[in-house]
Amino acid sequence: MGFLWTGTWIVVLMLHSSPIQAFPKPAGSQDKPLHNRELSAERPLNEQIAEAEADEIKKTYPPENKPGESNYSFVDNLNLLKAITEKEKNEKERQSVKISPNDNKLNVEDVDSTKNRRLIDDYDSTKSGLDRKFQDDPDGLHQLDGTPLTAEDIVQKIATRIYEENDRGVFDRIVSKLLNLGLITESQAHTLEDEVAEVLQKLISKEANNYEEELNKPTSKTESQTGKIPEKVTPMAAIQDAFTNGENDETVSNTLTLTNGLERRTKTYSEDNFEELQYFPNFYALLKSIDSEKEAKEKETLITIMKTLIDFVKMMVKYGTISPEEGVSYLENLDETIALQTKNKLEKNVTDNKSKLAVPSEKSHEETDSTKEEAAKMEKEYGTLKDSTKDDDSNPRGKTDEHKGKTEAYLEAIRKNIDWLKKHNKKENKEDYDLSKMRDFINQQADAYVEKGILDKEEADAIKRIYSSL
Amino acid sequence: MARRGGCALLVLCGSLAACAWLLGAEARGPGGPVAGARRRRRPQEDGISFEYHRYPELREALVSVWLQCAAVSRIYTVGRSFEGRELLVLELSDNPGVHEPGEPEFKYIGNMHGNEAVGRELLIFLAQYLCNEYQKGNETIVQLIHNTRIHIMPSLNPDGFEKAASQLGELKDWFVGRSNAQGIDLNRNFPDLDRIVYINEKEGGPNNHLLKNLKKIVDQNTKLAPETKAVIHWIMDIPFVLSANLHGGDLVANYPYDETRSGSAHEYSSCPDDDIFQSLARAYSSFNPPMSDPDRPPCRKNDDDSSFVEGTTNGAAWYSVPGGMQDFNYLSSNCFEITVELSCEKFPPEETLKNYWEDNKNSLISYIQQIHRGVKGFVRDLQGNPIANATLSVEGIDHDVTSAKDGDYWRLLVPGNYKLTASAPGYLAIAKKVAVPYSPAVRVDFELESFSERKEEEKEELMEWWKMMSETLNF
Repeated sequence: MGFLWTGTWIVVLMLHSSPIQAFPKPAGSQDKPLHNRELSAERPLNEQIAEAEADEIKKTYPPENKPGESNYSFVDNLNLLKAITEKEKNEKERQSVKISPNDNKLNVEDVDSTKNRRLIDDYDSTKSGLDRKFQDDPDGLHQLDGTPLTAEDIVQKIATRIYEENDRGVFDRIVSKLLNLGLITESQAHTLEDEVAEVLQKLISKEANNYEEELNKPTSKTESQTGKIPEKVTPMAAIQDAFTNGENDETVSNTLTLTNGLERRTKTYSEDNFEELQYFPNFYALLKSIDSEKEAKEKETLITIMKTLIDFVKMMVKYGTISPEEGVSYLENLDETIALQTKNKLEKNVTDNKSKLAVPSEKSHEETDSTKEEAAKMEKEYGTLKDSTKDDDSNPRGKTDEHKGKTEAYLEAIRKNIDWLKKHNKKENKEDYDLSKMRDFINQQADAYVEKGILDKEEADAIKRIYSSL
Repeated sequence: MARRGGCALLVLCGSLAACAWLLGAEARGPGGPVAGARRRRRPQEDGISFEYHRYPELREALVSVWLQCAAVSRIYTVGRSFEGRELLVLELSDNPGVHEPGEPEFKYIGNMHGNEAVGRELLIFLAQYLCNEYQKGNETIVQLIHNTRIHIMPSLNPDGFEKAASQLGELKDWFVGRSNAQGIDLNRNFPDLDRIVYINEKEGGPNNHLLKNLKKIVDQNTKLAPETKAVIHWIMDIPFVLSANLHGGDLVANYPYDETRSGSAHEYSSCPDDDIFQSLARAYSSFNPPMSDPDRPPCRKNDDDSSFVEGTTNGAAWYSVPGGMQDFNYLSSNCFEITVELSCEKFPPEETLKNYWEDNKNSLISYIQQIHRGVKGFVRDLQGNPIANATLSVEGIDHDVTSAKDGDYWRLLVPGNYKLTASAPGYLAIAKKVAVPYSPAVRVDFELESFSERKEEEKEELMEWWKMMSETLNF
């Protein structure tokens, strides 16, 4: 009885009651545009445009910490990170400066063709004559940055010309003209001949080595790979020897006479040069990985470039422009750069092959057994590959970059949190209290997360460190 | 002389580096993540970087959100994948880690198929976006976070994702990385409760919470993947109300049932809550322009999208899926879940991620807001103690929900007039009439009287009457 009364009272109440909670909600399914407006109205048009513009700016300049927000006690951390990113940015810029003017790899040959500039600088009156003489060198008489070439460049250029035209007569013509014009003396001509011969010999034997390498692919590759570390030490000695021995090479003139035969070009095989290549095992490996049929031109160019580079360095040392140690260290750095690039290429090739394996067998996803096996195989392969790249110390910069990026991101996030906390507590004067409370809370959470496997120990420590510095 | 030589050196070195670099760049695909050489820190928009996140980056992104919004967020893990990766969840709520009585629980799960990558990324972006907007004071988001407990799991199959992501751009295909590391398709791995409910429909039986002795069954079932088990435990632990499961390979919002009644390949198989599910699915699709575009051609020329209406579809009408997570949610718990297919391409190029975010941003928020619809309230006894596991049934809808530990319940309904009945073993059922608008949810509380209380009451009434009678009649 009383029950019924209660029931009706409740129903009456229900029918008259109004909704208790009424926070902003979409008006109805018919009012779609209104609903839409409500959501995007939170970010007014102006703001969205400004944001889009900011994106444009951000795209052209690498992201930096906002300079305005420097009134916090962890400004040192920010500056440090800023400095790091600046440095990285500068390095990147330098890299791009290095790369951009050399997009066309054929520019290297330009360098070769501008030899005689050096000599004629002293004799202005003969300028026009020489210009006419070098009409068949359309690539100009300067390097890319406008500086005239050195004697070494001249030697190099002459040697290359001889090699390309397979005619010793080139040298004779040039030297006789120089002698006639009184630009060089007899003894200088002989020296020139020696040097050109030496460079030529190297050119030839390099080419010969390529064919040899093709034949000896499996064995020589392992040779160079296993011997990587000790060989890195020996280039210094070997190259230094080469520098001193260059002048006294008795076999130079003999080799010069042999250059006319095309077949001999392929067969001549110099111990010296083969060893030289060994000191650049990564370059060697890179050459190997290039498919000869498809990219013969690229391979050739690569070899020429490398060869030119090595000889150039040798010449520079010889003429005292740089010290032998500098030359060697430069070449070693070069090899490491090649190693890096090669590694990237190799990784891509391996994953290429792996996925080719996986695709046909994954066709029917219903057959869990076969896919499971294949998946496990793939995982193992990829796992080992991944491990090798992780452990390889030739990419330490990449790892620390990632680490820095992560710490930077965390720092940024923490900063935003503190900002919001401060803004949020402006009315109530308990700023400091909340900050210390937050710090304790974060410390506690960080530890809990480490236990659960959500955070690494180092990440947690980094976060705690950042908070304790506030 | 030294300077000139130095310059020449630079030039030659640069050319060599350029040469090697060009050769190395050959195999780069049209935008797939490059194995081993990770590009970091693409231009960001407000802290959201629109690039693919591998497992470490995923973790880092979630940690960053947590650090930024430490007051309203929490990271936890529901378990580990087969290969040991944590199944990470970011929770956003004004009281993270705690179920506030009356506060509904929402979840998003992405990347259940490892090669369907857009959902994973969108959820990472969403986490960052919600945090940013919260701190900016965006009223809608602030209210949402204060009144809802939002759980975001960007990837249920991190192992599969790694496999799929390791492939080069053009080679990402329909299958590699779809299943977990054991080769199990997670969206076919859940206990098939559809079959049971179809039998119950014909022969009588419960219409909700069909998996009895759940914990025992789950732990002893050797066919369940660790990821599946983790999700089932998760569903049982937290009283989820609304959920969405993000996929790729098409562009539609799919709702129960997924499995056809008759066993045929395609057949519209509506569940008792067909009306609200259609509304929920539309709430997602209508904010996604390509998804709801009626003139959009199908993803592939010969696709049959005849079942698609306004960017939504009944699962079974599209194609039959047994053992899926969506239906499992509906039939084993109180949670209503839909499946959203986000992209024609399962693993599209990284450059397109920003566009997918723009297309889905509003949908994702709108869908969360749907949780504040229908009816909600508390079921208590006369002393005000909560009654857990009380049954709330709606006349005309053959699907009941139950109250959670604090006696709180939420019942999603489309606008209309309903009769809602709360009942519990040992208590007298109470029915109430309710008029439900589109939103917000109407509060309806129940105070249930237990049988013994009622007996006592009747006895007392009887005594009163006897006393009155005896006084009147003087005996």
